[in-house]
Amino acid sequence: MSLEPALLSPAVVDLPFREGYVRSIIYVSLYVSGIAVALSTLFSIPVAIVMGFTDFPGKQFVKSVINTGMGFPSVVVGLLVLFVVSNQGPLGSLELIFTKEAMIISQFVLATPPITAISLAAISGVSENVRDAARALGGTRLDVALVVIKEARYGIATAILAGFGRAISEVGSVLIVGGNITSASGISQTRTLTTAIQLEARQGQYDTAMVLGAVLLALVLTVNAVVVRFGDEGSVNR
Amino acid sequence: MIELSNVSQAYGDETVVEDVTLSVEPGEVVAIIGPSGVGKTTLLRLLGLFTRPTAGTVELDGQPVWSADEDERLQLRRRVGTVFQEASLFDASVARNVEYGLRVRQPWDDRLRDTLWSIVGSNGTPEAVKRSLDVVGLSDKLDQQARSLSGGEAQRVSFARALAYDPSYLLLDEPTSDLDPRNTGVIEEAIVEARDQGIGVVVATHDMHQAERIAGRVGVLLGDGFTEIGPTETIFENPTDDRTRQFISGELVY
Repeated sequence: MSLEPALLSPAVVDLPFREGYVRSIIYVSLYVSGIAVALSTLFSIPVAIVMGFTDFPGKQFVKSVINTGMGFPSVVVGLLVLFVVSNQGPLGSLELIFTKEAMIISQFVLATPPITAISLAAISGVSENVRDAARALGGTRLDVALVVIKEARYGIATAILAGFGRAISEVGSVLIVGGNITSASGISQTRTLTTAIQLEARQGQYDTAMVLGAVLLALVLTVNAVVVRFGDEGSVNR
Repeated sequence: MIELSNVSQAYGDETVVEDVTLSVEPGEVVAIIGPSGVGKTTLLRLLGLFTRPTAGTVELDGQPVWSADEDERLQLRRRVGTVFQEASLFDASVARNVEYGLRVRQPWDDRLRDTLWSIVGSNGTPEAVKRSLDVVGLSDKLDQQARSLSGGEAQRVSFARALAYDPSYLLLDEPTSDLDPRNTGVIEEAIVEARDQGIGVVVATHDMHQAERIAGRVGVLLGDGFTEIGPTETIFENPTDDRTRQFISGELVY
């Protein structure tokens, strides 16, 4: 089987799947990772700000928990979320198992540690002198916090994109809690790019797997290109 | 008047400033001279109402500072412009940097409108910003990114930033350490001009000649406290304290 670039477009060549199938998979991937990362950002940034601005007993411990969380195996997260949302679990009555919502929960758990840790590093990296300057010029506590966030903006953007990169390319937890389901008409319910690639490859549908792989790669490359660009812009202005 | 009475400052076991009494009147320049690491910056932080002293009292224009609540203290601190040795400009244009002190003093709705306008386009630069950049000779750098300035330019912007909101007192920590002789002259002129407008200025410097040029009074900080404080002429020509005399003549080596 030869694979030429034109083959990558399902609209051009008759591939053994309908375009709607691929599109629905892309949609589910973006939907789940997008919402998970958005929620994660809403949670992580305030946590990072509070941790960056206050000292409290056990702060080092919380930091090391977050850092450990960055390397937490996604299958284990999936397993834990599965227990929580399964019928006997604490959230069993919500019937979330094998739904996009369950996948959002597990990706939230996965994306939160890197977003918090990288944002915290960016906020802590803002020089004490800058805070002093804001205070010296008459800034309130809130003004000082706003200055620090503004100074750390590139780092915070990098954190969010890194969280998205982890979520979108992750396969273990969404497979366990989402179940890799399509509807009877072949439209993805909880099938993501990663779980679809895994399934198609196992079934010997290598051309489909390749197309999906190319789409995923393009998404991740785009995200990383933006991260690099943000990083560059930050360093130019430093 | 900023008034420190019997103020001491210790960090842990280490006493940095001990039992200092100092007052700064409007319209005078007080120089604090002494070798590096002797506590000049700590003293400025006490005068600037940044650090709560471990002992003694601080008053600004007759109001005790550290028994006031945080909001009152903020209002008091806003009368003082502190320029630290490290320029530490914000990652924005020169104009936005100099404008900062004015902006934080505005009510929130004005600030919000200002921010929205700045997204649409330029909303003009306040006169005070242009004026204070003019004082330091950088009015042509309004739109430049602050982080792209040279060290000396950054230090001058940092000075302009404090000048813009018209403080009653100016505290300057080694304000000319990064400057060439010509720009040192510019800043010294600005200091004298500020004094003539009734601003009380404190300059921490290790440059004794600078102190002699601009200060009406000089405090000599050699140990934990002042060895001597008095009119500039007396300190330089007729010091009563032995260590002051040795420091000024260069015999006392740290």
